[in-house]
Amino acid sequence: MRDVMKHLIRSPQGAVGLFILVVAALMVCGGAHIAPYDPESISILARYKAPSAEHWFGTDQLGRDIFSRVMVGARATIVLSLLATLMSMVTGAVIGTASAYLGGKTDEAIMRTMDAVMSIPSLLFALLIVSTLGQSSFNAVLAITIAFVPGMVRIARSVSLAARQQDYVSAAIARGEATHYIILREMLPNIVAPIIVEATIRVAFAIMLFATLSFLGLGAQPPEPEWGLMVSEARAYFFNAPWMMLIPGVAIALVAIGFNLLGDGLRDALNPRSH
Amino acid sequence: MTASYLFKRFMLVIYTLLVVSLLVFGITQLLPADAAVTLLGQNATPQALAAVRARLGLNDPAWLQYWHWLRGVLHGDFGVSMRNGLPVAPTIMAALGRSLLLAVCALLLMLVVAIPLGIWAAVRRGKLADMLVSVLSYVGISFPEFVTATLLLLLFADVWQILPATGYVPLTEDFRGGISHLILPSVTVAMILVAHVSRMVRSEMVDVLQTDYIRAAHLKGLSRRRILWRHALRNGLLPTITIVALDVGYLLGGIVVVEEIFAIPGIGRELIVAVQARDLPTIQAGVLILAATYSIVNFLADLAYVFLDKRISYA
Amino acid sequence: MSDAVLAIENYSLDYLLPQSEPLQVLQDISLSVQRGEVVGLVGESGSGKTTLGWSVMRYMAANARERSGRILLAGEDLCQMSAPQLENLRGGKLGMIFQDPGASLNPTLTLGEQITEVLIRHRGLDARQALELGIQLLSHVELKNPAAMMKRYPHQVSGGEKQRVLIATAFACEPQCLIFDEPTTALDVISSAQILALFARLREETGVASLYISHDLALVSAVADRVCVLEKGHIVEQATARTLFLSPQHAYTQKLVAAVPDPAHRLTDATPVSAQPLLSLQNINIDYGRHGLLDRLLRRENGKTRAASDVSLTVHRGEIVGVVGESGSGKSSLAKALTGLVPFSGKVDFNGYNLSGRAEMDKDYRRRVQMIFQHPDASLNPRQRIGEIIARPLRLYGLPEGENEAQAVARLLEDVRLPASFARRFPHELSGGQKQRVAIARAFAHPPELVICDEITAALDVSVQATVIELLLELRRRYGTAYLFITHDLNLVRQIAHRVAVMYRGDLLEVLPGEAMAQHASHDYTKALLAAVHTPEKAITEHL
Repeated sequence: MRDVMKHLIRSPQGAVGLFILVVAALMVCGGAHIAPYDPESISILARYKAPSAEHWFGTDQLGRDIFSRVMVGARATIVLSLLATLMSMVTGAVIGTASAYLGGKTDEAIMRTMDAVMSIPSLLFALLIVSTLGQSSFNAVLAITIAFVPGMVRIARSVSLAARQQDYVSAAIARGEATHYIILREMLPNIVAPIIVEATIRVAFAIMLFATLSFLGLGAQPPEPEWGLMVSEARAYFFNAPWMMLIPGVAIALVAIGFNLLGDGLRDALNPRSH
Repeated sequence: MTASYLFKRFMLVIYTLLVVSLLVFGITQLLPADAAVTLLGQNATPQALAAVRARLGLNDPAWLQYWHWLRGVLHGDFGVSMRNGLPVAPTIMAALGRSLLLAVCALLLMLVVAIPLGIWAAVRRGKLADMLVSVLSYVGISFPEFVTATLLLLLFADVWQILPATGYVPLTEDFRGGISHLILPSVTVAMILVAHVSRMVRSEMVDVLQTDYIRAAHLKGLSRRRILWRHALRNGLLPTITIVALDVGYLLGGIVVVEEIFAIPGIGRELIVAVQARDLPTIQAGVLILAATYSIVNFLADLAYVFLDKRISYA
Repeated sequence: MSDAVLAIENYSLDYLLPQSEPLQVLQDISLSVQRGEVVGLVGESGSGKTTLGWSVMRYMAANARERSGRILLAGEDLCQMSAPQLENLRGGKLGMIFQDPGASLNPTLTLGEQITEVLIRHRGLDARQALELGIQLLSHVELKNPAAMMKRYPHQVSGGEKQRVLIATAFACEPQCLIFDEPTTALDVISSAQILALFARLREETGVASLYISHDLALVSAVADRVCVLEKGHIVEQATARTLFLSPQHAYTQKLVAAVPDPAHRLTDATPVSAQPLLSLQNINIDYGRHGLLDRLLRRENGKTRAASDVSLTVHRGEIVGVVGESGSGKSSLAKALTGLVPFSGKVDFNGYNLSGRAEMDKDYRRRVQMIFQHPDASLNPRQRIGEIIARPLRLYGLPEGENEAQAVARLLEDVRLPASFARRFPHELSGGQKQRVAIARAFAHPPELVICDEITAALDVSVQATVIELLLELRRRYGTAYLFITHDLNLVRQIAHRVAVMYRGDLLEVLPGEAMAQHASHDYTKALLAAVHTPEKAITEHL
């Protein structure tokens, strides 16, 4: 673990990515405490104020402090996206590994079905689920999870297949090792790394998807300080108060960049041969 | 035996569409609310509700309802919109046409920019140009469409007033006007795709440029131009077909968002409106058609691959 | 020296490394090649021989720094030439023939185009003239139906044919000097003998000066007039092949010559082998691929490949049985079947156990029949430490009396002559030879009765190979283990095996006594194989 961190910090992508995400983590954990104002407190007098010493990011159309909203909104945007990716990763890894190990017709049937499910683009899938279950953050998370599972299954399966064909797995089979030992102790440690890399990059996509859903009114609902929702609400006031829209937009992009960079950095750091 | 491969591949498309139709229909059946109540309102009489249920076939078992719907679809009948009572098929198909125009514009724009960019970055690997492209890619794939769309819209339409803001003009009516309305939406969708595809193209080309046969070509004294254009490109660009085909999925998602922001009456817009109004038939039709489009695009890409890559023998 | 075609004078090259001292790859290299002469360059991995070849071609890595020296081609210093001048030379007066013909040809261009482009570039021909000349050149390298060959793609022709095309391309522009980078390594023995014969003929006709790079001392000795031995960037000895084998001067050369497998020099002692059969295979068939229901309905061709067909073989207690054959002969499939990795049909009798399928291979069988794989990087789990890797069989089969796990692991490491501290290392921290020894320690954790060695030294340098073989023989002396030694190296197997089975395309052709293979060979294929292989003995006598 410590070696991984060392290698991660050495690469420029890893370092920058890690930095951005540490900041994001701080926002998520301590957002509510750092926020100087209550994100939901309305103040008619303080509307449309530009960024200043009093309000670092300015205020919005209802006089709410944008800095506080961004801080608190971090939790909504990032944590929920992380959750969706995590759930899809675990589900995908289990199905994918099993499919690779079982092989034969079962494997083919599962993969063809996954391919079929993947032919519905993620956003549309999410739209479908949200339209059925109703518009809320929770349903958006569920939708994203389900939409990501086939992609994760693909990756998990291809990595498992590669691991399955290695000589050290053959050596274990030839020794007479039990199936569960082979999967857990021989294959899994070699599979986990690429899956984590893929999942990290997917979080970036999940964040963007979640924000998009909220933007379209299908995810988080007002007055939640979710970043995508904030951009949507701010469209009408761009002329008066451009910062209302730009700041949450940039925030989304920065966190997504952070996860993308971290994923690339992890890819090198987790590969023991590249040292 | 190419023929048998193509046959198998085509069967796969059919299977895919079947699964998609099941998913689309199945998910919308999870709707807790009663469709009849949605149509007639809370205060309808039980008899009226029962009549509507019978008419819509809501009392039939799920598989039968699915079967009826599927039969309709195969005949081109997607049912009647629950929002405005009009038949879904004509509206959707007209909307599809407009979306396809936007999609094709975005795709062409993306190809024209992303492929040269990727090749350039690969040839200048490790140098400033490559790092620049890399940074731009990272930024490009991290900005969601709605942010770039809104930004571009406000910059070009409101601040600088060069291009029209929203709306759509059919090309047949006014070609120049129509194009000017399509520029911003296409650029927005293309941006994210350019970032992604150029990265993939760069990666493929870098791999090709490091192969033994390219090294052998250098050592035969061939000019760099010939090596790049005659030897490298054909190997590097072949996988691009698959990459672009896969990205059409992002394209379709992006179109949905962009049509909403730029108020283009395409299939994406119809979908959003339908979702907000819980208009099931339209939602089912829209998602099914878009998934079918994606599936067919991938099939065509596989076909192209088979004909272009001589190494593949699908015995 | 003045009429040497290629002259390398005091040439030194470093690789600059990011966070340490520059790596001195080549140091003070001086050699020359006359017209019509072949100079061999022999070295193991890390010797710098390939780098020297690339340096002559002026194809340098980005972090390469030339410290001193000149490389003269017909009197002109290549190091001082500009890029356009070099481009003119390469492929024309100065050419290279590569190791892997499949990888050196562009898969999306026809063979014809890849020849004619060189003719157009260097001899100023137009397309039609180039095509005609190309066809002529292909027939000159003994390719049948050259006109059709021009239109083919690389994947449609065999390895030997591809190499002929590459040779034709290299000779097309009347080169003064050619660099050969292990051109027969990727080919089977018989094809490679034909290619070398072709090359000898062309060399006589054109008088080209050649630098032949290889790791195979016996082969180079048969091909080259003089041989330079390279160790870690230094030329330690330069002499004729005969002199090198008969009286090597430098310590490294002596070590190298001693390590080259020499069938005349038997390593296994002469004690007779027990007559008690240990493993007996009867009518073994191994098939790959499926012929499913759908395939049968559509009346498609049977897609199953028969990897091994009706193989019957017996291994006696403590015996070393060699299995030789080219790739595709089925020898590896045999190994996989015996360890339960692939299904087979037929009967296997192991010490009284009667097995007709892999489901019947229980833990006891697996304990007594172990396998060592070819690629040590792939057979050791990269995420497990060495200690854990060796401890696994102990945990599966039980610890030996009076020892705990740590002690057993330390002892096993010592047995294979590795320090006990290696137990805490990861595989990527060890060299290829060291990893293979760990694999051997793992196999002997619970001394087995039969060890199947599947090309275990193919990926190793020849000196490392010698130590691994020595280790295997010592372990046999200690534990009385039998070996099923699978290899393509005929010389090696004649040194150690009591009996040798020859396989070809899934059939077991014949089983011969190891020491007297040549005398007893009756099958044509075996005889052709024995004739084509290069031995030190041949190297000495051929140049008389």
